[in-house]
Amino acid sequence: MARPAIWTGALLALVLLAIPGGLLALDQGYLFRLAHLSMIFIILSASLNLVSGTAGLLSLAQAAFYGIGAYVAAIASTQFGLPFLVTLPAAMLFSGAFAFLTGIPAIRLVRIFFTVATLSIGEIITLAITNWYDVTRGPLGIRGISPIEIFGIDLSSRLATYYVIAVVMLASLWMLHRITHSYYGNALRALREDDQSAEAMGINANLLKIQAFAIAGAFAGLSGALLAHSTRYISPDMFRLPESILVLTMVVVGGLGSLPGAIIGALIMILLPELGREVGELRMILVGIVLFIAIVAMPRGLFSETAAIAFVRRWFGCAWRPGRDGKAGIGWK
Amino acid sequence: MDIYFAQAVINGISIGFGYALVAIGFTLIFGVLNAVNFAHGEIYTLGAFAALVLILMFAPPIVALILLVAIVGLLLGWGLERIAFRPFRRSRDEATLKSRAMREATLMSSLAMGIIAREALTLYFGGEAQSIPPDYLLNQPIALGELTVANGDLVIFASAIAMLAFLQVLLYRTNAGREIRAVADDFLGALYVGVDANKVIVRTFMIGSAFGAIAGLLVGLYYGQIFPFMGFTPMLKAFIAMLMGGLNNILGAVVCALIIGLSESLLANAFPSYQQWVEVVPHFYLLLTLLFFPSGLFGKRSERM
Repeated sequence: MARPAIWTGALLALVLLAIPGGLLALDQGYLFRLAHLSMIFIILSASLNLVSGTAGLLSLAQAAFYGIGAYVAAIASTQFGLPFLVTLPAAMLFSGAFAFLTGIPAIRLVRIFFTVATLSIGEIITLAITNWYDVTRGPLGIRGISPIEIFGIDLSSRLATYYVIAVVMLASLWMLHRITHSYYGNALRALREDDQSAEAMGINANLLKIQAFAIAGAFAGLSGALLAHSTRYISPDMFRLPESILVLTMVVVGGLGSLPGAIIGALIMILLPELGREVGELRMILVGIVLFIAIVAMPRGLFSETAAIAFVRRWFGCAWRPGRDGKAGIGWK
Repeated sequence: MDIYFAQAVINGISIGFGYALVAIGFTLIFGVLNAVNFAHGEIYTLGAFAALVLILMFAPPIVALILLVAIVGLLLGWGLERIAFRPFRRSRDEATLKSRAMREATLMSSLAMGIIAREALTLYFGGEAQSIPPDYLLNQPIALGELTVANGDLVIFASAIAMLAFLQVLLYRTNAGREIRAVADDFLGALYVGVDANKVIVRTFMIGSAFGAIAGLLVGLYYGQIFPFMGFTPMLKAFIAMLMGGLNNILGAVVCALIIGLSESLLANAFPSYQQWVEVVPHFYLLLTLLFFPSGLFGKRSERM
């Protein structure tokens, strides 16, 4: 068998067989919830990695788009009684569309001004969620969100929920992988390094930036919908600036621009505080310390971008597409 | 003029000067390094908590208290610069110093230091508000005809004026100020003509942080309540005021802080049932400024940051 097939198979077996098997053997509801949360945050940090790592637009609004997704799913499910298969794409669509609309003005800004604008966008969204009492029930949050259910089949057991989230996560990671490790991803990297020269080389920088921002927003919304349906309770506090900083820390620790790094970073930041179970209050201080150490001591992250690209080329067969003469050509396989 | 409207104007000016106190130090630091100091809000909080501890331990007179908190601010500024900003200035290469990566790194490292300080305070003092002993409160009402102002309003107003005057003299009448302006203008250029740029940056950080700590102290005494998260909102408002004012224009930032305070107070007065939504307004100001006045309302530079 070809090497990429072996590796893909091994990864699938790990996520779909080994981990749920181990969780079943340990038989603790708490560990299942932790696994659900880790996978939700993996989608979130992989989506932020696309916009902040690959496209180089440092965003502090990611948790807000995550919140839009969660609230769209929660409201669609509690107020309109829509099924999971409708609320999930609806959440993705809404947050993607919102990211697109806010991206249009923000994208003209460069560097730290973009970051500041996303900070304000995030604040506006969370203030709206907190204060729009008629729709979002304000600080009380929304309770009683319907559990996951597809075509009338109840999937609310912890194992079934695990599988639903795992399948959505694998599909999202596959899509983000195809976006990042492609010719398109290279265009995003080019405009990250220097958007003026990228434009001079014929890349429509503003269009690509908006697309990256909107795609990342859509995936953040998707993870928000998964959160709403798996925890069945959401409140505005779950989507404030500290959460955005947490997601940013995941991406920075893993390595800006590196998709495997984003996954590793998400796992570290979710699982690390759980090692000492009683550290609930220490969680944010840990985020601060880890973020600081990551920036000072290893600015490229645990799994740097170049290493990540070499990794997917070698082990997942995403090499340069051969040209007519058999040598490396233009674009990715 | 309607009495309620006039009182709302006075309240707005009072809120605005509270933001202005934070904005002055923030803008000073941004001006010299062109890097955002996201820990400024925590310097403000730490200033207020240092004041609480000093009051509980020694009960010093108010002038001594302000001086002691200023010293705390100086030390905090020194430490913050050392820990969160100095490590990223090792390179002497112009492209690296002005690069996006370097600005984002200092942005994130100061953000991280801010989180650590805030969470440490929460762990030590608890997340709920601490009350300031009543002797020290700066909210004695003073009647001006039918209107009332608090003595704290006057103190905050006087402090803002004093800070602006101090900076005006420092920046434009002394050699130290000339050095600060030189570094703000061009870090490497200042180095080449023999300015110890690192020392100047530390000095600026110390002054800006002392202003931030004093702001936290005064606003804390004015409202009588301090809590670990108190620095976040004023910092955001100061930040917005700085961007609206044109980045390194301190007077512009003060004017914009007043605009923000006034619009918050007047809108809350005009739409009492939507008071919570008023918080959104400064963020819209920021987005509108960034879109339509990229160099701020009073700024003139147009460099791509």
